[in-house]
Amino acid sequence: MRLSHISYENVRRRKTRSLLLILSIMIGVASSVFLFTTTRSMEKDVADKLDQFGSNILILPETGETLSFGGVTVGTSQGKELDMAMIPVMKTIQNKETLATISPKLLADADIQGKSALIVGVDFTQELRLKKWWKINGLEKGEVPAANEILLGSDVARILNLSPQQQVQIKGQDFRVRGIIQPTGSIENDQAIFMDLTTLQRAENKPTAISLIEAAAFCYTCPIEEVTRQLREKLPDAKVTALQLTLQSRDDTVQRFSLFAIVISVILLITSGFVVAMSMVSSVKERTRDIGVLRAIGFRKQHIIQMLFLEVSFVSLIGGLIGFALGMGLAMKFGPLIAQMTVQVPWQPMLALYSVGAALVVSLLASIYPAWSATKLDPVEALRYF
Amino acid sequence: MSLIKVVNVSKTYQGGEGAVNALRNINLEVSEGQFLALLGPSGSGKSTLLSVLGALNPPTEGEVSIDEISIYGLDDERRADFRHEYVGFVFQQYQLIPYLTALENVMLPLAITKYSEKEQKNMAQNVLEKVGLGKKSNRLPNQLSGGEQNRVAIARAIVNEPAILFADEPTGSLDSKTAKEILELFQSLNKDGQTIIMVTHNLENLAYVSRSITIRDGSIDTKPGLRIGGVS
Repeated sequence: MRLSHISYENVRRRKTRSLLLILSIMIGVASSVFLFTTTRSMEKDVADKLDQFGSNILILPETGETLSFGGVTVGTSQGKELDMAMIPVMKTIQNKETLATISPKLLADADIQGKSALIVGVDFTQELRLKKWWKINGLEKGEVPAANEILLGSDVARILNLSPQQQVQIKGQDFRVRGIIQPTGSIENDQAIFMDLTTLQRAENKPTAISLIEAAAFCYTCPIEEVTRQLREKLPDAKVTALQLTLQSRDDTVQRFSLFAIVISVILLITSGFVVAMSMVSSVKERTRDIGVLRAIGFRKQHIIQMLFLEVSFVSLIGGLIGFALGMGLAMKFGPLIAQMTVQVPWQPMLALYSVGAALVVSLLASIYPAWSATKLDPVEALRYF
Repeated sequence: MSLIKVVNVSKTYQGGEGAVNALRNINLEVSEGQFLALLGPSGSGKSTLLSVLGALNPPTEGEVSIDEISIYGLDDERRADFRHEYVGFVFQQYQLIPYLTALENVMLPLAITKYSEKEQKNMAQNVLEKVGLGKKSNRLPNQLSGGEQNRVAIARAIVNEPAILFADEPTGSLDSKTAKEILELFQSLNKDGQTIIMVTHNLENLAYVSRSITIRDGSIDTKPGLRIGGVS
């Protein structure tokens, strides 16, 4: 017989107390795992949504300066331009699945009613997916302008005195104003006229030319810098830039979620630790006589500590494993439902190791005081010997 | 040569109503192979003396030597080692660990030795057979009678062959037939050379011992003429 056998038998034969202790550890671990995995998935969900909400990668040509859009110069005969052929190339990068939206643009200037205006040729489907925050008067949600329809920035509409359904002539063609974009706070959007990309390419006689590409990448699982690096490799003649401001704000939000998840999990584990500590204190009190007997027959203090720690370790291993399985199961089943998120909670086997490890560490820490007080027991007092 | 030597031992407890002198100036020598009974009324200090002799309870004054080792000169952990090597205890209420079987209870002192699991089992089983409980080794304490629990406690106390066996009122809660069996067992162990010190208040038990002393008010009673007083 070894000390571990005594501890094991104590756990096995004192079923009610052991079950209560396992239950308290299990609840602590299950709640922590549930909250941690759910909030981690919420984090991913938020990150994905933020990634969709606006572009985070800009692909530019080398060009001169005339009109600008988002700091990008409008193509001139002297400037370089990108080509539509780049778009399928972009979809061959290693992390291609992260590229959620690719919105090519052709910039041109036009004279309308005697005033110079910036025309932006866009793929309306991609552009409206990228600019989810646009509020457009005259265009219902889910509708997309046709090839002979345009969207006007609020400043342009005011300067040209145009409203939805009016006709306007641009580069010799008639267009119907399909909608007016409400002020966005961005000069580029408010002062631009958005036209179907193919229509503008034809009008400019540049059937495959584009001035820039705005892209949105889901980058929860890969750093955006890595995606931009892969794009640079595939597009050596273009300038691929990650929009740091967008990234920073995304990272801030995601980090807050991450911090929240960690804090909640730690609080739950500490609470669980207190329950273990209280339970162990009562266990030591309950076994005062037993400890007295062991001390009397020659057990050292270190043997008593070893036995109590082994006992807690058995219980923690069982509670930690069951707690992990329960928390993970609940998170996978109910997490998406409770958090109303679109992403699934993935099975994380490595988390089992951390859960059991954390349960073990917290339980052992919580047992230090009860174990220490057990060694302080006077065997004579413990046995009520005299 | 004396196995146990007690010189001027006193023990004082600080109680709610001031200091209580549990032992006063005790001087005693016990030879190897003796079966000594400590007699005396309740509260006389005999159990305190037993715990002091058993390296469990440091005296306030004086010195206790066993096998020429001054046991209270040892630190706490070394004194635990000393108890493990030299001392076996049979407690008043047997004090068996309730969640361990009879065999496991007997194996307890061996759990901190280098004996293999198999050796421990063999040793414990042999001792259980010696005390007449060979067939009940897998029973839990609550599945045994008082007398049987007492035998398990005795087996546990002697399994690692201690120099001295201390027993505190081992027959106190037993019927006369079972008490007789236990005392005969002690006598048999003593005949095999085991030194035994037993606390008792029952004069009938004196028939089994080789020597008795009476403790009264914390001192060894040396008055002549008392039925059970003095050193026999």
